[in-house]
Amino acid sequence: LGACRVSLSMTEIRAGFTAIKANIQSRDPIRTLSILSHPQSLHKVKSPDRCCITHHLFTFYVDKVFKHCRTEDSFVNRKISSIANSFLSARRKLGQCHEQNNCACGEKSTEKIKQILENYEGLNVTSAAMKSLGELDILLDWMEKSR
Amino acid sequence: GDDLLPAPQSVSIFSTNMKHFLTWSPVIVQGATVRYSVEFQGEYEREHANGSWIPISECSFTAATVCNITEDISASVAYKMRVRAELGSRRSPWQTMKGYFNRITTSLTPPLLSVIADGYHLLVELTDMGPAFQFRVLYWKKGKESMVQQKVTNEVSSVVHLDTMESGAEYCVKAQTHVEAINRSSSFSPTQCVRAQGDSSVWL
Repeated sequence: LGACRVSLSMTEIRAGFTAIKANIQSRDPIRTLSILSHPQSLHKVKSPDRCCITHHLFTFYVDKVFKHCRTEDSFVNRKISSIANSFLSARRKLGQCHEQNNCACGEKSTEKIKQILENYEGLNVTSAAMKSLGELDILLDWMEKSR
Repeated sequence: GDDLLPAPQSVSIFSTNMKHFLTWSPVIVQGATVRYSVEFQGEYEREHANGSWIPISECSFTAATVCNITEDISASVAYKMRVRAELGSRRSPWQTMKGYFNRITTSLTPPLLSVIADGYHLLVELTDMGPAFQFRVLYWKKGKESMVQQKVTNEVSSVVHLDTMESGAEYCVKAQTHVEAINRSSSFSPTQCVRAQGDSSVWL
């Protein structure tokens, strides 16, 4: 992720998400909105800011999203826990980059993060959390594409 | 009223090669089959989800005193596990394991391998240990220990071709596993040596 060299278990996160993707996305009633891709795709983010965006998005998911995604389905809950704990572990590694100043945010990225938070706050919390979780593959694709 | 069942004791985790098992001592009630339920809590649940616990359905109401928790221990963070006994409507208190478990402490054993001399070809067969495992294979011509070569592979479904050997020469091989997710490697397997077929015919 730019100057920040961090090893993230993407395979495990991807496997956990794939296992529940259909279930989670079927719970998203608002099909015409996106949290991560509105108004601009994540793929428009410049590469030097990758670490900053990744760090902020992991914080967004850990602090705001996962806790509002509890379901009645034990299997889904277990996979969400798996992803959440992987994000927590990854965020800690990214935090070390932050401390070493290898994770700076440019103006455009700061704007993108602000936009994502506004998209999120614009919905009721459960819908926003489920939608964000359902869009996890957008984040994973962007992270793997920009490796 | 219903008296409480005693809680299971000796709750502990055995973890080898990224396979993690929770075990506990049985609760004995004469003439009855006591069952157990298991729950886990990752660092995320402790810090961000009000210390919530998540049941493992495969180990709910189980009569076994062991539970495969590999699927749920899927991040390199500190986990806690707890077990309780159940008999009809009676429940024991939850027994939580002492301390925490992080998969980075799993014990890694050297890989099982068999080295094959197929004519002049040096081959190695590796045992599948799961998707998390990579194999680092070192091989050299006996007597030329300073010229060790290396091959890193995830490939275990088929025989791995290492080298073409000199006629009649002896070659040695050893290997270790590497788990990227926890950034650790096992110790090396014992060295195995094989000899290439001798060549009685002469090329003119």
